[in-house]
Amino acid sequence: MSTIISVHSFRGGTGKSNTTANISALLAVDGARVGVVDTDIQSPGIHVLFNLDESEMGHSLNDYLWGKCSIEETAHDVTSHLGAEVKGQVFLIPSSIKPGEIARILREGYDVGLLNDGFRDVVEKLKLDYLLIDTHPGLNEETLLSIAISNALVIILRPDSQDYQGTAVTVDVARKLDVPKMLMLVNKVPPQFDLEDVRTRVEQTYDATVAAVLPHSDEMMTLASSGIFAIRFPDHPMTKGLRKLVDQLKA
Amino acid sequence: MNETPFELAVKELEAGTEDIRPSDIVSYSEPLRSALNFVIRLGRFSMTEFQEKLEFTREETKKISDILVARNLFAISRFTTAEETYFESRLTAMTRPLTRPPSDIWKKIE
Repeated sequence: MSTIISVHSFRGGTGKSNTTANISALLAVDGARVGVVDTDIQSPGIHVLFNLDESEMGHSLNDYLWGKCSIEETAHDVTSHLGAEVKGQVFLIPSSIKPGEIARILREGYDVGLLNDGFRDVVEKLKLDYLLIDTHPGLNEETLLSIAISNALVIILRPDSQDYQGTAVTVDVARKLDVPKMLMLVNKVPPQFDLEDVRTRVEQTYDATVAAVLPHSDEMMTLASSGIFAIRFPDHPMTKGLRKLVDQLKA
Repeated sequence: MNETPFELAVKELEAGTEDIRPSDIVSYSEPLRSALNFVIRLGRFSMTEFQEKLEFTREETKKISDILVARNLFAISRFTTAEETYFESRLTAMTRPLTRPPSDIWKKIE
């Protein structure tokens, strides 16, 4: 039985793609076969974390949505790009980074039903244990579809008033879609903040489980999306927080 | 006069004619919303499983299923037998509706 996990935040810049990439890597370390789909078609970026160059990209999610190829043809095995030997495998389905293709999908749109079909097909054809969906921030039909078919949802927020308010909307919608497991991840917490206070505040505000509270990390900033943090810094407190999140997703 | 949950579900589903979008699910009443959430996650399911979630009669469940087939959320599976009907669920929606009106996503969520 495969698990579909959506990683979402109401606002941009919360660290969604970074978190998604790190979850996938930690699951692969544990021996899982993991798929990662970049559904942030308007502003794709997760391929950078996996060091997948445009020249290596071949087919993208856009090609599948335009009927040019099957969903499994868009999946790139990026296991060797993780930076360490892992027992499992990671497959990335990137969105196109060609300006003309991004413009076309924005102009013409696409049927999100194709995502519905594609997610189910790729899980089956690649025999995935987990499919991670890196979503576009905010709420739209694609995001709602991702949440509607997911078994678990990770909602990321920063300790910021705008994030708090927008996240309340996401939590409300996720509850209406009966997502079986909803975990909150508080990211980029400034060093002046007490992590336990932040956790308590978020838990009380949303009446939801906080899987981890991650402090702002200079090492993460310095890495600048050029690799998978949890692989580069396996003993870092941030990696330990991500590990807690992964353990709760697996539970 | 108060409507029964079945009557309300039929009314909500018959209020539209287009394919059912993810944002439609959010706005449906109970037990329709929970039952749809359940079968959408299953992807493939039987009429009996759907009926158990709805807690409607078989006849009422069939009426609801017929509307959902007409609105393209359900498709009758090739595994259907004389004894049991099987379905596959498929959510859909255009991100840029060129020929259809906007989905009013915020109105539905509120």
